[in-house]
Amino acid sequence: MKGEKRKVILKEKKVEIPLAKEELEVVGKQVIRKDGYEKVTGRLKFGADFDKAGFLHGKVLRSPHAHALIKKVDVEKAKALPGVVAILTAEDVPGRNGFGAIIPDQPVICGEKVRFIGDGVALVAAESEEAAIEALKLIDVEYEPLSAVFSPVEAMKPGAPKVHENGNLLTTVRIRKGDTEKGFQEAEVIVEQTYSLPFVEHAYMEPDVAMAIPHEDGTITVKGPMQAPFTVRRNIAPVLHIPISKVQCVQTHLGGGFGGKEDSSIDIGVRAALLAWKTKRPVRMEYEREEVTLSTAKRHPMIIQCKVGAKRDGTLTALEGTIYNEQGAYASLGPIIPPAGGTHAHAVIMLPGPYVIPHVKVDGYLVYTNHPYGGAMRGFGAPQVNFVHESIIDELAEALQMNPYDLRMKNCFELGSVTATGQVLDQSIALKETMRSAADQFEWFKRWRPPPSKEEVEKVEKRRGVGMAIGWYRTSIGTFSDGCGANVYVHEDGSVILHTGITEMGQGSHTVLAQIAAEELGVRIEDVRIVVPDTDIVPEAGPTVGSRSTTLMGNAIIMASQAVKASILEAASEILGVPAERLVARNRLIFDRDDQTRGVEFKEAARRALATGKRMMGQGWWAPPRPSFDVETGQGYPYFVYTYNTQMAEVEVDTKTGHVEVIKVVACFDIGRAINPILVEGQIEGGIMMGLGYAMMEEVLLKEGKVQNLNFQDYMIPTAMDAPEIVPMILEDPNRYGPFGAKGIGEMPNIPTAPAIINAVANAVGVRIRDLPAHSEKVFHAMRGRRG
Amino acid sequence: MKISFILNGKKIEIDAPPDRRVVDLLREDLNLTGTKEGCGEGECGACTILVNGESRLSCLMLAPQLEGQKVTTIEGLASAEKLHPIQQAFVEFGAVQCGFCSPGMVLASTNLLQKNPNPSRAEIREGISGNFCRCTGYQKIVDAVEAAARKMKI
Ligand code: FES
Ligand code: FES
Repeated sequence: MKGEKRKVILKEKKVEIPLAKEELEVVGKQVIRKDGYEKVTGRLKFGADFDKAGFLHGKVLRSPHAHALIKKVDVEKAKALPGVVAILTAEDVPGRNGFGAIIPDQPVICGEKVRFIGDGVALVAAESEEAAIEALKLIDVEYEPLSAVFSPVEAMKPGAPKVHENGNLLTTVRIRKGDTEKGFQEAEVIVEQTYSLPFVEHAYMEPDVAMAIPHEDGTITVKGPMQAPFTVRRNIAPVLHIPISKVQCVQTHLGGGFGGKEDSSIDIGVRAALLAWKTKRPVRMEYEREEVTLSTAKRHPMIIQCKVGAKRDGTLTALEGTIYNEQGAYASLGPIIPPAGGTHAHAVIMLPGPYVIPHVKVDGYLVYTNHPYGGAMRGFGAPQVNFVHESIIDELAEALQMNPYDLRMKNCFELGSVTATGQVLDQSIALKETMRSAADQFEWFKRWRPPPSKEEVEKVEKRRGVGMAIGWYRTSIGTFSDGCGANVYVHEDGSVILHTGITEMGQGSHTVLAQIAAEELGVRIEDVRIVVPDTDIVPEAGPTVGSRSTTLMGNAIIMASQAVKASILEAASEILGVPAERLVARNRLIFDRDDQTRGVEFKEAARRALATGKRMMGQGWWAPPRPSFDVETGQGYPYFVYTYNTQMAEVEVDTKTGHVEVIKVVACFDIGRAINPILVEGQIEGGIMMGLGYAMMEEVLLKEGKVQNLNFQDYMIPTAMDAPEIVPMILEDPNRYGPFGAKGIGEMPNIPTAPAIINAVANAVGVRIRDLPAHSEKVFHAMRGRRG
Repeated sequence: MKISFILNGKKIEIDAPPDRRVVDLLREDLNLTGTKEGCGEGECGACTILVNGESRLSCLMLAPQLEGQKVTTIEGLASAEKLHPIQQAFVEFGAVQCGFCSPGMVLASTNLLQKNPNPSRAEIREGISGNFCRCTGYQKIVDAVEAAARKMKI
């Protein structure tokens, strides 16, 4: 009911915010995820669990060189090996020899040269895995090594080795707002620093797998854990030189994706498809853990220079930033090729943070090198730049001798604020409320003290400190592929099938989207079955990225549900003799709003709808209000709505060893509306742990282009022993464009965690880590450096 | 070579080469794909099984090591349609996201509660620290194990 207040679920606190919609049955409830039973019993089949019988085994021969010309590939010996069915080299690609989520610049099989250690040089298909592995050893490749380049700064210098023909600078994105020179003149305090962020691995638990099955009629089916089946399909068709309509991509449940399986499923899917196409036999490929780490996309490393200026009272006057964003060997999801926007543009847009700053200038360079490549990873360029703005704001607070909370509160976004891209934030923005709620819960003002002096640190063995960070994150990709469709079918027994191309990776979309359909139709969640995303069946959905699933697909599902519900209500109106406008559908019943004793079961109405020839399927298609963005000036409305978040962390630092323990994280989110609070909390807690890994331990180590830590023994991710107490808090400031007011949550939690922790470390022991990760040794050396 | 052992309560005999990894024996020869392989090197815990009630990493074991042992895989934990209290708690408490770690995590928790029916949260965290989960942040897993422990005592 309009005007009523809705109690917002917080772990321990209650806040009241106006209700988005009248009382709901399914949405907003702690609905248990639909696939839980299958998962805890081990019955759910992941890609690798399908029967292997009848499949050939596919393998990739990978380059040991970071940069080299391919002089000759001799496959004769390998071909002669018993059990080998095919060895493919570049000449065997029937169509386009390239794939990529945005630009197809990565060869399916390298022909002329290799650009990173792990590049694919030949493909093998064999009757057994052993034969395939043996065959790899028998392929003779003659390389002519070229000098390689391993840093974006080096790669931009004239005369640097060229990774690609057109030069190493892939994309430049800028923001120009106001006049920063003037802004810095007005400033009374200026802080300038350089920060650097490492390559990070997604470390989804399920390694990549793909199964490709060619059919008699010239079509091909590819199955596997795809985060974006439509993008895989879009890449397979031109490589095989067949129309898109002949390629079917079917998703298997993902054992985690985090952005990584948007790229990797193209890589493995295209290669498996090619082998199947050439051998005319089903082919199965699996990348082992080491191969996943070696060859698939990672979080972009960045070097970022940043300068901010403020008045004595803390009012920000100007920000300047330069981002050297390392793309690695291939474009993946890095560049912006209007209208498609990648990680890089997003990083540039997010660098000024959720702050009102009159004068802003950002230059972002996205640069090829001979390293593995950066792609999409939870946060899509935002965790890097958030680390920068949230570190430098704290450094500024220290220079101003202000409480960092107050500095943020003074400058951060509120209703009506204008962003650095000139976007007016005119709705659904409760950032300041997230700060207040988090601060109350965390008791920020009781616990925050100015950073200690050297002497104070030396006095004790362990010191605690607190730190905070805030952030914003888009909902949507903000580009052409944001449109998405859904089909909703009602059957004569009242059961429902929902077709959506949004993939289930663990985030719980297939529960949330079923909730939305159930709510809108007036049935129960168990009545709704979502079929596995299959590009032959489900409408184009775009990729499952950008924290867009609930909001964008949710809207499409509401439209589809309404279309079919019209038939059901019409049938119910015929049965009851009550005009359809007066009918309400809820919990499998349809009743007269004005006389609630008059009703009919949903399934009875459905039966009649079918019997009287009415439409039993609805389709909805939704795209956000058209985004705009100018690459030269960075001006425009790149995303239609944002999620906001405050995180506060408490750490304990061992002053003798530099070991940091994260004790507690309080995190408060404005997500518009929590369709399923327990799943939202799951996203929050999981994201924070990933952010904790980013802060403390995760880094893909490279030496002369070679990954040094390929397995989990060397690449550390957080275990339960690293887990702090996490207090997830949800605020709901409804999104005008969202289903039931919802906006995205998947990525936001992962973003401000690292700076909150690092700010807490600075608060505990007075040293500031500007290059992640802050492992013990680094913290120890920083403390020793301070001691002089 | 012939290997006989008790698998999920049933005595079985199977032919396998002596260098067959247990994870492959289970997943491929016995079609028990509930046991997962995340790393193949004893680091992630996805392949956890119970051998005589102790959690073991099946990617590090060879088939002959099963001779005469009692093996429980995730398929053997629930009776017909009724979930084990730990499984039930995992579902209810949101301890499952992608689910790839869940079979191993559930078995490791089973082992933990057998040894220590009354664990503190810190002990639970330690008990499952050999099992990676990239999705949940572990908190809801700890909640679930705690709740299951309470329930199993009644
Ligand atoms: S697969 Fe055995 S520990 Fe990872
Ligand atoms: S639920 Fe995905 S790894 Fe644990």
